[in-house]
Amino acid sequence: MNSPSTLLNALELDALTELVNLGVSNAALSLREMVREEVVLTVPKVAVLGRDEAISILAKNENKRLVAVHQVFEGDITGRALLIFPEARSLELVRAVVGGELPLEEIMELEQEALAETGNVLLNGCLGTIANNLERSLKISLPEVIHGQGEEFFSLNPPPQAGDSVLFIYINFAVRHRDIEGYIAMLLDMPSLETLKVMVSNYIRRIAGEQAITSNAP
Amino acid sequence: MPPSANSDYRILNSINGGFVVLDQDARVTTWNAWMATASGISADDARRKTLSELFPGADLRRVMLAVQSALATNTSTIITHALNPSLFPLLTRSQRTLLHDVTVSPIEDGRGLECLIHITDVTMATRREKYLREQQNARYDAVVESAPDVILTIDEEGVVQLANPAAAAQFGFSAADLVGRSAASLFDSKDAWAEVWRQAIAEDAIAQQREVTARRKDGTISYLEASGSRWSSGSRIFVTVILRDINERRAAEVALRRSEGNARAAAQALAELNLTLEQRVKDRTDQLMKAEEALRQGQKMEAIGQLTGGIAHDFNNLLQGITGALNLLQKRIAAGRISETERFITGAVESAQRAAALTHRLLAFSRQQPIDPRPVDENNLIASVEELLRRTIGETIQLRFAPAADLWLVRCDANQLENAVLNLSINARDAMPTGGVLTIETSNQTLSSSDAKAWDVKPGDYVMLRVKDTGAGMPREVQARAFDPFFTTKAIGKGTGLGLSMIYGFVRQSEGAVRIFSEVGKGSSIEICLPRFHGDLEVASSAQDDGDNRTEKGEVVLVVEDEAVVRLLVVEVLKELGYYPLEAVDGASALRILGSSQRIDLLITDLGLPDINGRAVADEALTRRKNLPVLFMTGYAAQAAGDAFLADGMEIITKPFTMEVLAARVRDIIATVPARTGARTRSAGSQIL
Repeated sequence: MNSPSTLLNALELDALTELVNLGVSNAALSLREMVREEVVLTVPKVAVLGRDEAISILAKNENKRLVAVHQVFEGDITGRALLIFPEARSLELVRAVVGGELPLEEIMELEQEALAETGNVLLNGCLGTIANNLERSLKISLPEVIHGQGEEFFSLNPPPQAGDSVLFIYINFAVRHRDIEGYIAMLLDMPSLETLKVMVSNYIRRIAGEQAITSNAP
Repeated sequence: MPPSANSDYRILNSINGGFVVLDQDARVTTWNAWMATASGISADDARRKTLSELFPGADLRRVMLAVQSALATNTSTIITHALNPSLFPLLTRSQRTLLHDVTVSPIEDGRGLECLIHITDVTMATRREKYLREQQNARYDAVVESAPDVILTIDEEGVVQLANPAAAAQFGFSAADLVGRSAASLFDSKDAWAEVWRQAIAEDAIAQQREVTARRKDGTISYLEASGSRWSSGSRIFVTVILRDINERRAAEVALRRSEGNARAAAQALAELNLTLEQRVKDRTDQLMKAEEALRQGQKMEAIGQLTGGIAHDFNNLLQGITGALNLLQKRIAAGRISETERFITGAVESAQRAAALTHRLLAFSRQQPIDPRPVDENNLIASVEELLRRTIGETIQLRFAPAADLWLVRCDANQLENAVLNLSINARDAMPTGGVLTIETSNQTLSSSDAKAWDVKPGDYVMLRVKDTGAGMPREVQARAFDPFFTTKAIGKGTGLGLSMIYGFVRQSEGAVRIFSEVGKGSSIEICLPRFHGDLEVASSAQDDGDNRTEKGEVVLVVEDEAVVRLLVVEVLKELGYYPLEAVDGASALRILGSSQRIDLLITDLGLPDINGRAVADEALTRRKNLPVLFMTGYAAQAAGDAFLADGMEIITKPFTMEVLAARVRDIIATVPARTGARTRSAGSQIL
């Protein structure tokens, strides 16, 4: 089995990171529309990890209870996208999004909707932009909010094959003076990852021209 | 409607929910029956229009964004009523506002991308939620919002999720500022807070209340009593903490502790003060005494100055008397007027005598006078000065003399005792300016060891001499200092303050003691005790005895004296007495005479000769004339005291001396010559100590 990191070389990862950033900035625009406040989304890091590695990263967080917004995508590449952050921060996120001085109960009541909508916008932004630039179309589902731990998130039906890789995106979400750190994890099976690789190299070729490809011949 | 989709449309128009399909230009292609009813817009009217055209004035930005996203990137979007309270203006069948959620999804059906908008009625659910919430809020508000205590709800991470108005008031932050803060950051007493937290998280019930210290936004401290309990909502765990303000109680405790502390500190300070008080009193007393001493020293110096001035003055007068008389005498004799010379001679002699007495007193005071102790009968002595006493004390004061019968003898310097009696009488007189009674008593007394202790003498037999007056008396402070030299209560010029101190010195030297018994307003009694003398009083010639000074034997007396006047006088006296005087002016010439074969029966020599010390002359003389009696003359009595100085056969007489005294001494010495065997014997009236 190939280790995931070798499936995308440095250039490909860079290109993907660029696409993610693009997607995230689009999402920020949409979010701003939603919250009527300045939204700053930053992506400090993008990595391709094995499933186990991804789980351990999520488990490093002392508070292991997580909340995720889950969307499925189908098409040339198939998989799940999850916006994940610590459950304890979720209420922060809700407050950031709905603003105002709503009492705790109302915040908690709105939690499901707020997370769903926010996650929806973010994931749509990322996935949609990536798919668009890779000249592919993906069918993306409506969001679902789930609570649990990393392992559970990565074991959703249908179960992933061993060796499935995770495109792991670190994301920073800042709105209304609140800073929330989370992750976007895209779970892809092997074939989908290979397809993604092809799509990315085509993209690179398209943008950078022949020189980049020849100099980076594997 | 396209006929091929007939069955689709039938379903579409039966569904309880709005379904709208937009083409790639965002124009309506499908508008189902539910949507027509809810919006009031028929399908025919809706077709080909944009949503903005159909619903002008509605805020459809999010919807349109979602539509764009669906058409461009194939994404589905959910827009909830909860977060977006007003989207489409729709009404229920009873004309109430229709609350709805919206989802926007892409459709691909072979004809290109289209967008499906699905609208769901959530009115009922929303209303129910709203009702429940209001119910809950009402109950909740009743307690939390109006509670005087701080109520904080804190999530598992320790972050404040809820703060009531009391919390805002207590901490100085607005409720909104408090939410999102770490609860622990509000407290100064980290350990106390951690304990509250730990207990609350671990158990469900409230354990015990703990005191915590909070820090307000303005930095001030607040004391609170905390209790917390944990509860859960779904999978979430929360801790609600109630904090009661105990600042007043604390302030009261602190005030009490402080006043207790003050009381304790005061008591401690007092105790310390007591401890050091004695020391400080002692220190102060020492300081005062030193200051007194210094003052006294200064006073003494001043007094000495006055005294020496006074003495010089007196001496001048006396000398004047002498020289004046002699001058006149000279003139008279030169003029042959011998008849009147008696007066001047008497005058000169009297002056000289007074001067001698003064010198005597001074020397006695300086304790350099060699005392000449002899057996003395005090009664006789007092009787002999009675005349003088009466004259001295005047007529206003009655003099009573109470001598004891069979009074024991004492051994002392008679002159000094006389002076003592005179001095005490003068003091008594001065204490009775308006008259009174002066009593002089004598008595025998045996002092037991306890009595003797009071007198500060050895136990034994003593003779008491008391001089009592009925005068003003002396207060205790004056009594204490009465014997101090220069201490006097008399005005300047009226007393030197030396009298009592001299008496004290003389009495102590005689192994006796003197005490003052006095009470203010009742008079004083000065008492002298002197040790009993167990020997005999030999009736001897007193120094004043004028008779029987002549001798018939014509002994040769060598007079060695460098001062002409003195030598002259001595020689004259000797001639008068019938002796044959020889003269020498200094030691050398004396030795020449002594070395010759000239008969010499007595050597009278001044101790202070210009060349050789008189003593040396005597010693040298005695090497050749073994039994030669020697009479030393000295004006400076320092060398006089002590047996060691005088060998056998040597005696001493101090200047100034009257001629009678000289004559008596010479006679005695010569008279005892045959009885001398080489060891000193005691003969009447010539004892030297």
